[in-house]
Amino acid sequence: MEIRPILSALLRSKTAPLLVAIQVALTLAGLVNALYIVDLRLAASARASGVADEASVFHITTSPVTKPSHEQAMAQRQRDLEVLRALPGVAAASWTNQMPVARSGTTSSYSIDRKQQRPSLLMGTYFAPPGLIDTLGLRLVEGRDFQPGDVLEIDESKDHPDGTFPTTAILSRRAAEALYPGTSALGKPVYLGTGASAPEMRVIGVVETLQTPFAQAGAEGEHSILIPLSVAGQYPRIAVRADRGQRDRAMADAEAALRKMSLAPRVVILRSTEQDRTGRYRNERTLAWMLVAVSGLLLLVTGSGIVGMTMLRISQRRKQIGVRRALGARRIDIVRHFVVENVLVSTAGIAFGLVLGLVLNRLLVTHLQLSPLPPYYLVGGALALWALGILAVSGPAWRAAGIPPATATRSV
Amino acid sequence: MLRYYLLLGVRNLVRSPLLTGLMVLTLAVGVAASISTLTILHVMSGDPIPHKSDRLLVPLVDNGPVRNYVPGTQPDDRQLSYRDAANLRRSGQGMRRTAIYDVAGAIEPERPDLPVDQAAGLAVDADFFAMFEVPFLRGAPWTAAEDASRARVVVLGKSRAEKTFGAQDALGKTLRMFGQDFRVVGVLDTWRPVPRYPRLQNGSGGALAGEDGIYIPFATATDLEIPNTASTSCDQDAAPKAGYAGFLDSECTWIQFWFEIASSSDRAALHQHLTRYAAEQRRLGRLPRDAPVQLFDVMEWLRYMNVVSNDARLATWLAFGFLVLCLVNTTGLLLAKFSSRAPEVGVRRALGATRGAIIRQFLAEAAVVGLAGGLVGLLLSLGALALIAQQARQLSMVARMDWVMLGTTFLIALATSLLAGLLPTWRAAQVTPALQLKSQ
Repeated sequence: MEIRPILSALLRSKTAPLLVAIQVALTLAGLVNALYIVDLRLAASARASGVADEASVFHITTSPVTKPSHEQAMAQRQRDLEVLRALPGVAAASWTNQMPVARSGTTSSYSIDRKQQRPSLLMGTYFAPPGLIDTLGLRLVEGRDFQPGDVLEIDESKDHPDGTFPTTAILSRRAAEALYPGTSALGKPVYLGTGASAPEMRVIGVVETLQTPFAQAGAEGEHSILIPLSVAGQYPRIAVRADRGQRDRAMADAEAALRKMSLAPRVVILRSTEQDRTGRYRNERTLAWMLVAVSGLLLLVTGSGIVGMTMLRISQRRKQIGVRRALGARRIDIVRHFVVENVLVSTAGIAFGLVLGLVLNRLLVTHLQLSPLPPYYLVGGALALWALGILAVSGPAWRAAGIPPATATRSV
Repeated sequence: MLRYYLLLGVRNLVRSPLLTGLMVLTLAVGVAASISTLTILHVMSGDPIPHKSDRLLVPLVDNGPVRNYVPGTQPDDRQLSYRDAANLRRSGQGMRRTAIYDVAGAIEPERPDLPVDQAAGLAVDADFFAMFEVPFLRGAPWTAAEDASRARVVVLGKSRAEKTFGAQDALGKTLRMFGQDFRVVGVLDTWRPVPRYPRLQNGSGGALAGEDGIYIPFATATDLEIPNTASTSCDQDAAPKAGYAGFLDSECTWIQFWFEIASSSDRAALHQHLTRYAAEQRRLGRLPRDAPVQLFDVMEWLRYMNVVSNDARLATWLAFGFLVLCLVNTTGLLLAKFSSRAPEVGVRRALGATRGAIIRQFLAEAAVVGLAGGLVGLLLSLGALALIAQQARQLSMVARMDWVMLGTTFLIALATSLLAGLLPTWRAAQVTPALQLKSQ
């Protein structure tokens, strides 16, 4: 195939092909970065929370109208648990202070030595009785769950001697690795805060995954600790796992039952972990959805730009096409001319677009904390734009090849 | 002449509807993408109270422990402890001042069989309403005397009043909350500042969405030992003593504080006073970090609190990149359109039209495309904003167009189309009349 005549025809009128090349470059740069962000956001929103079967789990927050005494609050919680466990369709129920991906909860700093200047790690802090691990369906990979003897009940309205705190703790695997890299954390100490009076706990177990209520991006979203501390708390919360497929009915039954047996008037709010997940990742999904729409428009606009440009060049060269056809060129030769021309232009645009895409990515990395673009995005984007160019050009080119030599050369 | 050119432009564009449609649509899509993202950014970063935003000031006293402090870094939390808030309330500095924290509780129903309704809002000082120019529908703020006597009074937000009392007048009615009877002394008109700058770290929807239903006196709230329902940050070294009194006495930070000064020139004096205050507290054994006291006005505070998310910035960047692409595309299409009109230019030039006249004619035609693109783009961006508001509740308050953005839409569309028309127009003006006339 002769590239030279096509190239020299191209160079005779440079403006239109240059515009197409710029469009291809801009599209490639925008497309790869946008799709990369989409992928990151969707991957983030699909991360496991640690809850084995999110479709079966929900939680109940109650807030009494008047502040009960510690004893009243504990009695209410115990009765709530008994009522919930007796409901048909409820597999397990445990008290806790917070739930993964529910977007509200407690974070505290922990260390591995009291003499440390700065704490080692911020962790989402779950107050957990024996059995919360089972209720949520967390996977215990080392050690054991809490036993009733581990639980410490504290009346927050009274003073306590320094260091009154549970002595055992269970870590998520990410947290265990961050505190004790390279070795097992089992049996090792963890301190709440730093300093001489920081309470000491021994790690008695490690669970595979447990996200914090905030499910932050990166490793910190999986830095969690479970502590067997029983307090009345501002908002007593109970986690419930329903039998498979029974969640909605169990939620309705649970709400009715709790309202009926309240010792004092109170607000009862139920939320499923699926609802929590939707709420937590709503913004991520919106952004991803917007970027997909923009990417689609990018391709559409560039495609239509190429079509328009090809049509312009065809109308400029009707006579030349007619002459070539009259001199024996086949239709496929004419089509090939325009396709090759477009591939040449696209290639120049793609080369420029790859550089532009990397520059844009670098800007996003420095200003908006994005991670660097993996190379296969650039390869995929380049291939997509080549395909788009060929697709967009072949329609008008095929029509141009149909120009009868007689009409095209009539005025010559 | 310009009117004639514009008319000519419309006629010429109508003559080739396909190409014109493509141009207008390309431009409209580009304008819609950039306008809808820019609107969100504009509302997020707008000044919520322009005429006095430089006279409303937030003080920040760093009371963190010295052990994990790197001098020059920002405090761990962006709120004050009760001790500092109480001292500043008493300080008499500024024209007005208010402490703020989040309260939530249940409104006890009149009959026990009715469902319990939850109310969330703020504990504030009486000055709050005048400082942030909160509009009242009925009644007025409570008085300073009621503040001092820890009166059980409440101001209701508009939707809260409607929800609890329906069509009845809420003024003077009683609400049972926090185990007490609260008398309604005022009902607010619709008041939804965006962002919610008085209390950005709230527990009722965040910086952009949500609404406060009840406002009770700060002194009453702490007297009734009502806990803060937004973020509270306690350092473990200084673990609070038991009970509410111990909590108030601790270095836990949980209170937002605002000063209003009479004129922006008083800011330096206030800053000096706060610096003296911090030094005095240090002598009393507090504030071990010895960090300078900071003061922020409204816009500085919004920046410090990172109200505009990276996602919003990212979307705007990408949208403008997309607009550039649409511009290049429109340039190409205009080039195609104008280059087919070379014979017409030849005739006009031969009949005595100057290059300038040709340029004016073709730019007018590009402007017509721009105006049409702006109109279609406006409709598209209204649709896009409605979709965004529906998708992300967080953005529902900011996805709204105002007059500034409406004007910007047409400005962007017009500028884009004129920019896109430059090259094709210049090319058209280069046509040599002789050559064109000969070939006809």
